[in-house]
Amino acid sequence: MINNFIRLLKNELSLMIKGSIFTFVLFCLLMIASSIFSLALRHISFDIEIPLAFLLIMIFFISLIKVEKVYASDFSEAKLQQYILSPFALEIIVFVKNIMIYLNLIFLFLIFSPFILIILNINLSYLISINLLLALSLLSIVFISSMTASITISRNNKLSITSVLTLPLFVPILIVSMAISNVIDFDTNKLYLFFLAYFLLNLAFSPLLTSFALKKLSV
Amino acid sequence: MIEINNLSFARGNSLIFKDISFSIKPGEVMVIQGPNGKGKTTLLLNIIQLLDPLNGDVRLNGQKIDSQTASDCFLYLGENHFAYDQMTLNQNIDYWLSIHNVEFTKEIINKSIKYLFGELNLDKKFYQLSFGQKKKLQLLLLMLVNKPIWILDDPFNGLDNNTIKKITTLLAKKIENKGSIIIASHQDLSIPHRKFKLT
Repeated sequence: MINNFIRLLKNELSLMIKGSIFTFVLFCLLMIASSIFSLALRHISFDIEIPLAFLLIMIFFISLIKVEKVYASDFSEAKLQQYILSPFALEIIVFVKNIMIYLNLIFLFLIFSPFILIILNINLSYLISINLLLALSLLSIVFISSMTASITISRNNKLSITSVLTLPLFVPILIVSMAISNVIDFDTNKLYLFFLAYFLLNLAFSPLLTSFALKKLSV
Repeated sequence: MIEINNLSFARGNSLIFKDISFSIKPGEVMVIQGPNGKGKTTLLLNIIQLLDPLNGDVRLNGQKIDSQTASDCFLYLGENHFAYDQMTLNQNIDYWLSIHNVEFTKEIINKSIKYLFGELNLDKKFYQLSFGQKKKLQLLLLMLVNKPIWILDDPFNGLDNNTIKKITTLLAKKIENKGSIIIASHQDLSIPHRKFKLT
């Protein structure tokens, strides 16, 4: 079982690498959006909070689009039937897919982040802090997005508006990120711990809810 | 033994089938036949617990089937392809065998591939295959995943006569080994079987 789980991880990783072009395109669009944002607000002086909030919201949308794209193809009816009847619990498969999506997103974000920071006129001395902030918050964002995606892609759910119910879960991430950016040099270890705690909370219920929604709404 | 007792299923307000009962002993094949839209696939999905029935239940050796029993005992091959388009044949086989927790040497896998496909380039992407070849890739699981009950939805659709013969041989071997098979098909089987007609 462990050998096959490792094989599964390896295969999921290669599957995710094949899907990197889409993520790359999404980050290119983020660069364009950041340029428009900076150009639109070029006459207004503001602190780091506003571009950071913009960045977080954009990352949330990128994560949502990426997760929905992966879920729509990887949890199509025929695949889902095989996953449900496999010896691995669907929750584990959901968890593995989420982690692979996270790795895919964070890897590309790390590459793109210096350019995005320059475009958004954020001091490059904040690069490591912002990367750390995004790396921690993205874990929760991906797991929240997976709940949203599992409802959105479902065949049997007539009201896709119900997927919006998961969006308030994103608000604490935004608030705490803003709080961190208010403190000079992002030097607030306790606030960083919030993201870890929030991720653990998401980890406890997100794979369960995601797989429940997939089973009940998509088969 | 699988027992289906007074099974009914409804989708919204429309009743798909009502009070279906039959049983299958080990070493038996049950062919479910009926016109399109009468609920053959839905019945199979009810049996493997992917859909919840309106009434009735499905029992395996007298016990109600839960999701754990379903994943331990049933191998389901549906009408649609489940392989990943962007993966090669080799990668797809490895992926789905790992999902089903199956470990075989390359030699055994290659023998099974040769039996079903003959000569085939395993580095081809899945989307490059023909409909029949895609179907064969799914049927490969019948040779490699060892579960006692096979639930097959129209397994012969899109296959040539030669492959149908090979699949029929596989089914015959399964019965010899006291496995059970439930097939939804419009085609008659050349091996001994019972029929259940959905009207």
